[in-house]
Amino acid sequence: MNELLRAEGIEKSFGATRVLRGITLSVGRGERVGLLGPNGAGKTMLANILSGLTPPDRGRILFDGREITRMPMDARFRAGLARTFQIPGPYPSLTVLDSVRVAMLAGRPGRSAERGGERLEEDLEAVLVRTGLFGQRYWPAAKLSQGCLRRLEFARAISCRPRLILLDEIFSALSVKDEGDLSGLLRSLHGEDGISFLLISHNPLILEQMCDRVVAIEDGRVAWEGKPADLPEVLPWAAGHGHAS
Amino acid sequence: MSAPRKPGSPPYRAATGVLALGAGLLLFLPLAGLDRFFLDILTVGFLLAAFAGSWDIVGGLAGQVSLGHALFFGIATYACALLTSLAGWPFPAAAAAALLLCAGAGAAVGALAARLTGPFVALFTLALGELAHEAVLGQTFFSPRGGYSWGGEGGIPVALPWRDLSPWASYYGALAFLLLSTGLMLRIARSERGLFWAAISGSELTARASGVDVSRYKTEAFLIGGLLAGAAGVGFAAHVGRATAADLSLELSFQAATFAAIGGRGTVAGPVAAALLLHVLFQGSGLGPAARVLLYASALLLVLRFFPSGIAGTLRERARARRMGGGGTP
Amino acid sequence: MDPAGSAVSHPVAQLLLDGIFTGSSYALIAAGLVLILGVVKVVNLSHGAFFTLGAYTAFVLSARGVDSPAAAALLAAVIAFAFGVFLGKSFINPVRSHPFSVAVGSLGFAILFEQAAQMLWGPHPVSLTLGPPLASAGGLVLRRWGVVSFGVSVALLGGLSLLLSSRLGLPLKLIAEEEEIAGSVGMDVEKIRYLTFAAASSAAAVAGALLAPATAITPTMGRAPLLLSLIVVIASGMETVRATFLLAVGLGLLSNLSAYFISPGWSYGTLLAGICILLVLRPSGLAASMGRRDY
Repeated sequence: MNELLRAEGIEKSFGATRVLRGITLSVGRGERVGLLGPNGAGKTMLANILSGLTPPDRGRILFDGREITRMPMDARFRAGLARTFQIPGPYPSLTVLDSVRVAMLAGRPGRSAERGGERLEEDLEAVLVRTGLFGQRYWPAAKLSQGCLRRLEFARAISCRPRLILLDEIFSALSVKDEGDLSGLLRSLHGEDGISFLLISHNPLILEQMCDRVVAIEDGRVAWEGKPADLPEVLPWAAGHGHAS
Repeated sequence: MSAPRKPGSPPYRAATGVLALGAGLLLFLPLAGLDRFFLDILTVGFLLAAFAGSWDIVGGLAGQVSLGHALFFGIATYACALLTSLAGWPFPAAAAAALLLCAGAGAAVGALAARLTGPFVALFTLALGELAHEAVLGQTFFSPRGGYSWGGEGGIPVALPWRDLSPWASYYGALAFLLLSTGLMLRIARSERGLFWAAISGSELTARASGVDVSRYKTEAFLIGGLLAGAAGVGFAAHVGRATAADLSLELSFQAATFAAIGGRGTVAGPVAAALLLHVLFQGSGLGPAARVLLYASALLLVLRFFPSGIAGTLRERARARRMGGGGTP
Repeated sequence: MDPAGSAVSHPVAQLLLDGIFTGSSYALIAAGLVLILGVVKVVNLSHGAFFTLGAYTAFVLSARGVDSPAAAALLAAVIAFAFGVFLGKSFINPVRSHPFSVAVGSLGFAILFEQAAQMLWGPHPVSLTLGPPLASAGGLVLRRWGVVSFGVSVALLGGLSLLLSSRLGLPLKLIAEEEEIAGSVGMDVEKIRYLTFAAASSAAAVAGALLAPATAITPTMGRAPLLLSLIVVIASGMETVRATFLLAVGLGLLSNLSAYFISPGWSYGTLLAGICILLVLRPSGLAASMGRRDY
């Protein structure tokens, strides 16, 4: 399979703490990869490095064959590498519609002729319908529930048809309905739009259902890589953790 | 350029309505027989209101709380004074140079402040403003002709092409400038750039993750805000005919932030209206400068404590909460 | 700052000696600002006003014939504590989560105080008598204000250092580092916040009362120590009381020396330039102690 994202030998330390000790991983075109690991294993730090929020100490990142190690986060989004945050940081005073509009306008440079036009409004509406936010489109983000904030993160991330989305713990602390809706959305994004994703979670059950391949990291290193179905045998801790939660 | 924000625009529409009404009123006010004293207060009020609006570009729309906005105002007045009185330039050339200088200073301050967040933007701008204030306070020298003492607290005169301009001309000139700049600022607020500023002000991190080049838009906010503050400064230099250290004072920067807090940050029209009303009210009542600053500061503390989004902003939020039935989950 | 007094044969040596004395009091102010940042989690721009308050308290007392640093410091501490409780409880605590309100509001309070001082005592500098020398050797003069301010500041800072390392200081450390835990074990976090604010304000007022004989007392005199403290906060953050002390003394000396060698106006200018340079070089400031965000 053709590689879309490749990270090689990523290292990151804070003072004497070595958070990531040389991680290499890749996501193919149209592939759904799960990133599993206990809390504090460095999952979110890896997402920060892959999305351009934090520079790595060592290692390099390729996206679609291009080196993006030094590319800032906003440019990566425009290049088709989107991410969601575990704790959404909404724009409190902007409406849902305008929040997504920001990403749509900023993420599609060179489409200025269409900006502000009918086409943009249609695309916006489609994204909001798809994420189930159409009814709340005029609400200020400050008034949204936790589930709706997650949907908004999603809407923002998919607004510019990215090639790859990094999803950081999108299923934690959600209602059953929200969880069902979002996993359905994820399936359709993969099936219909061919979007790849890297799904980060501490919960192996979710990764078993959603992913083609799972990479488990522990203490800043890749501990295991393989088919989700093999997870319970290989990582007893993960299975125990999964059933407990 | 202007992105449609259909349902988000009622506050802007209301603001435009109030603005048009106010402008109409101010247009005919002098005909009601105002004396020179009131004409002068209103003229300065117009310039101060434009200055407050320019603060709101940086501190309100883009959310970069500046406590040194007087820097741009003072750079403009001092550039006008030095270029006309010392270098002998004609006033229009000096004014144009002053505007260029302010835009450059705005871009430079913005580029440096763009890397800072939260209270550090306030500290940085405060320190820069005070540094400029200290610098002009410390410089005194003798004028080239006549040997008057220039600089320091008393400042430097501006050589104007006219002698004793009619107060009517000043009044209408300043009013035209205020209407023009407020219209321009409201237009920017409604544009794509204004939307990006609102996003940065709401959450810098989410804006970056949405593809917004945050440093660029922050720098642009300082550039545009600095340029408009400089334009107000040029107007002030033309009206008063002197650049003084007070043009760079912390008190002036603080006043701009006060007007924005009272009128509602990020609404442009709110700070403009608050500046005009409070200035006319306090100046017209004949209070001393110390008492006025005292009143400004007390009003500010009360508003910040009880109306965290400004008076207009808090009332609007409450109205919206009522309309939505208290909000909550869908 | 009057660097030398009258005829002194070693002005620079005298300057250094006096600089250490004033610097130690500046350290007291800076430690208060650091403590407020840690526990209340705000950058408090009204801190310098309390220094001014202390100096005017000493001036008013001496104008009424009470020439005792102890009385001045005590009275200043009490007044500032009361003011601090009021400001902390009624303003800072409620608006804590609005960065705009904290920055502009605390500056507003400082400006309010400066204007009130100007209305009460006028814009021009007033001063206290420097007092007779306690001892002089080799052209160096030692005066009472220096000994007292150095002694009191070092004692108070030592006390703070002890407090933070003892069980009594545990609530402060807990709120500074693990806010959620502090709230969940039943501490009255809000009360600890405004009491810390008041205590730090009162320390700044004590410093003002002690340094009053050595400075020109003006309504805006609090701005320089505020900026000095801000530099300390940005540069060293919540490290140790000792780091705060050394940095504050160093900055105090630097600003005194630039006042002597360049011009008196430059002591404030040096601090302003220092803060600008520091922020340009270290744009992340003290992100670590301003509360982390779990991205």
